[in-house]
Amino acid sequence: MRGIITSTIPMAIIMLFLPIAGIASSATPQNERCIKCHSNKEIAAKDEGRLYVDPSRFAATTHSMIGCVSCHDSVSNSHPADGSHPSKASCKECHSQIQTEYTASLHGKNATCTDCHDPHAVKSPASIAGGDINTMCGRCHESKRIIASHAKWLPQADLHVSALPCIACHTGSKNYVITLYIENKPVNKSTMMDEYKMATYSDLTKLISSDKDIKSLIDNNGDGKISLSELRDFNFRLRGKGMRLWGMMTPEEVTHTYQILDNRFDCTFCHATGPKAMQTSFVALPDNSGGYQRIAVEKGAVMDLLYGTPDFYMIGSTRSTLLNYVGLAILLGGMMMPIGHGTFRFLTRKNRKEH
Amino acid sequence: MEEKDYIYLTPMPVRIWHWLNALGIVTLCITGIQIRFPDYVNIFGTYKSAISLHNTAGIVVSISYALWFCYYLFVAKSLFRLYIPNLEDIKSGIIRQALFYFFFYFLGRPNPHHTTPDCKFNPMQKAAYLVIMLVLIPLIVVTGYLLMNVDLLRPTIMVLGGIKLLVSAHYLIACAFFAFLFVHIYLATLGHTPFAHFKPMWHGWEEVEEHHSEEHGHH
Repeated sequence: MRGIITSTIPMAIIMLFLPIAGIASSATPQNERCIKCHSNKEIAAKDEGRLYVDPSRFAATTHSMIGCVSCHDSVSNSHPADGSHPSKASCKECHSQIQTEYTASLHGKNATCTDCHDPHAVKSPASIAGGDINTMCGRCHESKRIIASHAKWLPQADLHVSALPCIACHTGSKNYVITLYIENKPVNKSTMMDEYKMATYSDLTKLISSDKDIKSLIDNNGDGKISLSELRDFNFRLRGKGMRLWGMMTPEEVTHTYQILDNRFDCTFCHATGPKAMQTSFVALPDNSGGYQRIAVEKGAVMDLLYGTPDFYMIGSTRSTLLNYVGLAILLGGMMMPIGHGTFRFLTRKNRKEH
Repeated sequence: MEEKDYIYLTPMPVRIWHWLNALGIVTLCITGIQIRFPDYVNIFGTYKSAISLHNTAGIVVSISYALWFCYYLFVAKSLFRLYIPNLEDIKSGIIRQALFYFFFYFLGRPNPHHTTPDCKFNPMQKAAYLVIMLVLIPLIVVTGYLLMNVDLLRPTIMVLGGIKLLVSAHYLIACAFFAFLFVHIYLATLGHTPFAHFKPMWHGWEEVEEHHSEEHGHH
């Protein structure tokens, strides 16, 4: 999934030549021919469901653009009647750089590309939720054990695991931003201890009229950006619906260099970057393909005193400047007693000696 | 020679409690500065050690507070008498005491309040300590515990209005405590000698001068 970023250049080259070669026009009808059977649930039952391809998820992938036959090039015209098994391209044919990087990493021997990435549902880093990345890791790395092992050195390990994709610390990923996701409680279960879950596309479409885009939930004026006031307004409306906006610190530039980095043991790697670094944030809205579309939020919104992100706060990093000054004023107020009273006390010291 | 008299004003448990709190609160203030401003302040080596120390000091101070509260409420049964201003205090006592501190003190007039073990706070102190001990400390302790276990206590945090509200309240109350330290220490120097009120908090005995009483017990 994340490998897509480093494959952007070869992909761009392919895309450039697609119209010239006339493949673009044939790719979609070709896909449709394949998908017609492979989206059939009966087909899905065969071979442990590995033959099933979710049409909407596949349509959203960059792989769908190059077409099924680009990877399954030996498929015959009489497939499947002839009983042949079409070939599968190996990932490194296009993503060799990522493959080399990944193989050299600590994780390289433990899982293949397809153990983590489904080529028929692969998404770009921006369109996958941080929580979904962790769900993927959780298929092998059980969440409770991960929390317990991190808790040996990391304060509030459970909170950290829920606020960071694993790859934020365990790869050499860079350029962190805050991505905000909408969460809700399961329907008909509104007791206090219920856990919040990521709101789905259908959860959110129920909140808007059918003729409107899901973005209109938060982008009131439809300018493609979310201002601080739109964010506040959205939070107020969410509260009334038992929902909340949850933030994660996600990397913009991802790598496959799975490793344990010493600097991630230093809390100040994230917690001392100060207000200057935590200015960029996005709201990620689910789409109907299982991915997410991000909308940029006004700079500095996560630093808003209360209502910009009422449930997202990183100590040391997203402190409010306004509150810093209020605190300073309180402190100076306290100092005025010794300074002000002390001065008068000194000037009037003779009066007390007389008594 | 002036006549000197002594009263046993602060029993040993109260003194131990006071100095434990003092150490705890100063630790909380200093670690708190590093926790909020790690890009400018690094006193305790690593951020994690500042947080661990802050959490430990917070737990110590909160347990100490709980002991204090239970002792005064159930054992000494003097919580309300010592800390709740009476009608007389509200009607005239607070104003009289404020006038003394900010006006008559400079003219050299005596303190209108006379400290006794049964009435160790003047009306202004009563009002201040009422707010501190029964409002601000419980608030900062509760917000502190919630912030120490965010994931576990998330539903409660949500009901209370979100983490930002808790952080802001915790921070502002902390600033108020930090500010109060200056006021507290300064006011303690207003006895008939600058150290007159520090001594009883060390050995328990307050020196009472029959003709020069400017007591201002601080606890």
